[in-house]
Amino acid sequence: MKSKENRKPEPGLSAIFEKEYHGKKLGLLAGIVASVITLLLSIPFVKWIYIINPDSLFQSIGVKEDVIGKLMSSYNLYDMLSFVKYTKQGNIGLFTMILLILAVASVYFNIIFVIRVFMKKKESKGNLHLYFTAKSAMIFNIALSVVAIVYMPFANKKIGTDAIFISPIVYVVLILSIIAYAAVKIVEKTEREIYKEHGFLYELRKNWVLFAMLVPAAVYLLINNYLPMIGVYYAFTSFNFRDGLWGSPYVGMKNFEYLLKADLFKLTKNTVLYNFVFIALGNILQIVFAIFVSQAGVKWFKKTSQTLMFMPYFVSFVILKVLVYNLFEYDSGVVNTMVAAMGGQKIDFYNTPHYWPILITVFYIWKNIGYGMVVYLATIVGISDEYYDAAKVDGASLVQQIRYITLPLIKPTFIILFLFSLGSIMKGQFELFYQMVGTNGVLYNATDIFDTYVYRITTTQPLSIGIGTAAGLYQSLFGFVLIMVTNFIVKRKNSDYALF
Amino acid sequence: MKIKQSGSTIVFKVIIYILLTFMAAVCVFPFIIIISGSFTDNYTIITEGYGLLPKNFTISAYKTIFKAPQDILQAYKMNFYYTIVGTGIGLFIITMTAYVISRPEFKYRNNISFIIYFTSIFGGGMIPWYLMYASVLGLKGSTFAIWFPALMSPFLVILMRTFIKESVPDAIAESAKIDGAGHVTIFLKIVMPVLGPGLATIGLFLAIGYWNDWYRSSMFSTSSKTWELQFYLYDLLNATQALRQMAQNTSVSTADLPTESIKLAMAVVATGPVLLFYPFVQKYFVSGITVGAVKG
Repeated sequence: MKSKENRKPEPGLSAIFEKEYHGKKLGLLAGIVASVITLLLSIPFVKWIYIINPDSLFQSIGVKEDVIGKLMSSYNLYDMLSFVKYTKQGNIGLFTMILLILAVASVYFNIIFVIRVFMKKKESKGNLHLYFTAKSAMIFNIALSVVAIVYMPFANKKIGTDAIFISPIVYVVLILSIIAYAAVKIVEKTEREIYKEHGFLYELRKNWVLFAMLVPAAVYLLINNYLPMIGVYYAFTSFNFRDGLWGSPYVGMKNFEYLLKADLFKLTKNTVLYNFVFIALGNILQIVFAIFVSQAGVKWFKKTSQTLMFMPYFVSFVILKVLVYNLFEYDSGVVNTMVAAMGGQKIDFYNTPHYWPILITVFYIWKNIGYGMVVYLATIVGISDEYYDAAKVDGASLVQQIRYITLPLIKPTFIILFLFSLGSIMKGQFELFYQMVGTNGVLYNATDIFDTYVYRITTTQPLSIGIGTAAGLYQSLFGFVLIMVTNFIVKRKNSDYALF
Repeated sequence: MKIKQSGSTIVFKVIIYILLTFMAAVCVFPFIIIISGSFTDNYTIITEGYGLLPKNFTISAYKTIFKAPQDILQAYKMNFYYTIVGTGIGLFIITMTAYVISRPEFKYRNNISFIIYFTSIFGGGMIPWYLMYASVLGLKGSTFAIWFPALMSPFLVILMRTFIKESVPDAIAESAKIDGAGHVTIFLKIVMPVLGPGLATIGLFLAIGYWNDWYRSSMFSTSSKTWELQFYLYDLLNATQALRQMAQNTSVSTADLPTESIKLAMAVVATGPVLLFYPFVQKYFVSGITVGAVKG
C-alpha cells in the first residue's frame, strides 16, 4: 500500500483484463461478480430477515402496544439490533452483533477487493496479493451467509417461535461466494507455481514445529486479549448478573449517551492531560539527567546516582501508597510535621483536590526517572567519542557540545519513545492513580481517569457494568485512532520512525 | 589529547554534581523514612511525626508482626508461588514465541508479530477482560486467574527476539539446520545455552511484575488465602485507615489497630526481597533496557 510509483491512467476494464490477468479472467471475474452482488445485497434496502405474522409474535413475547409501532415485518442487516432492542430479546443480542460485525467486515473486504482489481497495482509476486484479498472477501461472505442461516433457528429457539425467516438471497450469496472462492483458488494455484510461492498448508506441513511452538502464546493471547474483545458488546447492554452474559437487555447507545452527559468529558480531559504531562515532562527530565550522569566524570558517583535513581522503579505501588500517606498525612505526615515545626498552618492534602495533579506528576517522575534515564544513557554512551574530541579541538564548550552533538543524536530515541508512549496516552498509570487517590471521592474531579473509573465500577457497582464497558470501549477506540493517525503522519514525514 | 577545562565547564560540572546528588537523595529519601519509621516506636511517630533517623530506636514493630505471623507468611508463600510459577511459565512461552518470530525462514513472522503487537494498541477494556476470567471461565477465587494474565507482554516478546537475534547469528542456526538439526534441537541446544543474559533480564522483568502485583488479587481473590503479598499490605492499610476514621467519629478504642510503625514494618517486610536483591538485579535490567533501546 505504500508504493510511491506513479500510477498511470487506467486503460479501461477490458484492456486490463486482456493484459494483466490474461488466462486468469475466469477466477477474477467470478470474484468480482460475487463481490458486487454481495455488496448490492448488503445495502440497507435489501431485507435479510422476515417475520411471518409479526402481530402474533409480538404479542406472544409480550411487547407493549406503544413499542409495536416501531417494529417491522422485515429487517436488513443493519437494523436487526433495533429489533433486539425493542422486543427486549437480549439473549439473541450477542449473536446479532456478531452478524453485524461480519456484515461490516465482508462489505469492507469486498470493497477493498473491487478497488484493488481496478487499481491493478503491480506487486513483486504477480497478483498473489490480489488473490489473497479476493479469498478474504469470499471467506467473509461465506461466514456471513452461514452465520445468517444459523441465525434463523437460533433466534427462533431463543425467542420460542418459528416466525423468524431468512431471505433466500442469503443462499445466493453463499453459493456465489463458494464458487468464486474455488475459482480464485484454482487461478492462484497456477500463479503460485510461476513464483514458486507456497500456500499456508504447505508452510504448516514444513514448519509445523514452529507453529506448535506458537500454540501456548496463541492460547494466552486468545484468552487474555482477543476473546475479551467480543465482550465490548456489553457496552450496548444494561448488563446484570441475573440475566447473565447472554441474556442482558440490549439498549443501543444509551450507555454512551449517559457517559456523554455525565463523565466522558472530564475523564477524557483528565486522562489525556495527565498522560501528556507525564510523557512530556518525564522525557525531558529523563534526558536532562541522562546527560548529567554521562557528564559526571567520577565513575563511582555515576554508578551510585544511577542505582539510587533507578530504585523507585522496583517498588510496588502499594509501597508508593504508604510513602505518599506518610508524607502527606494530616496528623503525623512528614510534610505537616515540618510545617508545624516551623510554626506554619498544617495542610489538609487529602481533602484539597488542587494539590493532587502536582503530587501525582511528581510521583510519576519519581518512579520512572531511573528507567527512562537508563534508556537515554544507553544512547548517549553509544555516541562516538570522535564527535566530542573534534568539537573540543574546535573550542566548543560543554554546553555547546551537548546542544550540538548529544541532543541531535538522541533525537531518534526520543521520537521512538515518545511515539510508544503516545500509544498509552489513553491508558496510562492506573496503579499510580489508584494507589495515590484510592477511594477518596473528594479528589475524583481532579484525579479520575478512565481506568480508575472503570475499575471502581467493576469492583463496587455491578449494576453499571454496561456503562463501564462503554467507557472502556470509548477509551480503547480513542487511543487506537490516536495511534493510527499519529503513525500515519509519522510515516508520511519519515517512515524510519513509524511504529508499524 | 588533553584539553584544559574552561571556567564555565567547571561551574557546569559542579552544578551537575549538585543536581544529581539532590535527585538521588529525593529518590532514596522516602525509603529512609519508611525504614526509620519502622524502627521508631509508635508513640513517637504520633507525637513527633516521622523523621529521617529513628528517634527512640526499637524493633517492637517487627516483634509484633512475627508474634502472629500466619497471615503474612501465607501471603509470602502465595507471592513466591505466583512469582515462581508465573515467571517460569512466562519465560518459557516468551522465549519460544520470540524464537519463532526471529526465524527468517518463517514466512508468517511479521503477521505473528503484528498479532502480538496489536494487543497493545487495542483491547476490549477492563470489564470484558474481567468477565472473561470471572464469568466465562469461572475462575474467580482460583490461583490460575492471578498468575495467568501476566504471563507475557508484547514488549517482553520483542525484547526477547532482539536478544535472540543478538546472541545467535542467523548463519549459525542455518548451518545447524544444514547439519540436520530440527527447530527443537536448535532452540534447546544452540539458542538456549547462549541466551543467559536475555533469560535473566526478561525473567527479572516478569518476577518484579509478579512480586509487586496487587491488582489481580483485588479483582479475582475471594479469600485471603490466595492474596498476593502486596494486596495483603494494601488491605491492611485500607482497613486501618477506615477503622481509624470510624474511631474518630465514634468512640471505638484504637488500641487494637495496627500502629503506624507496624504498617511501616509491614511495608519493609513486603519489599524486602526486592530491595535485598536490587543491587544484583539492577545490572540485568540496565543491560536489558539498553539492548531494547539501542536495537529497538
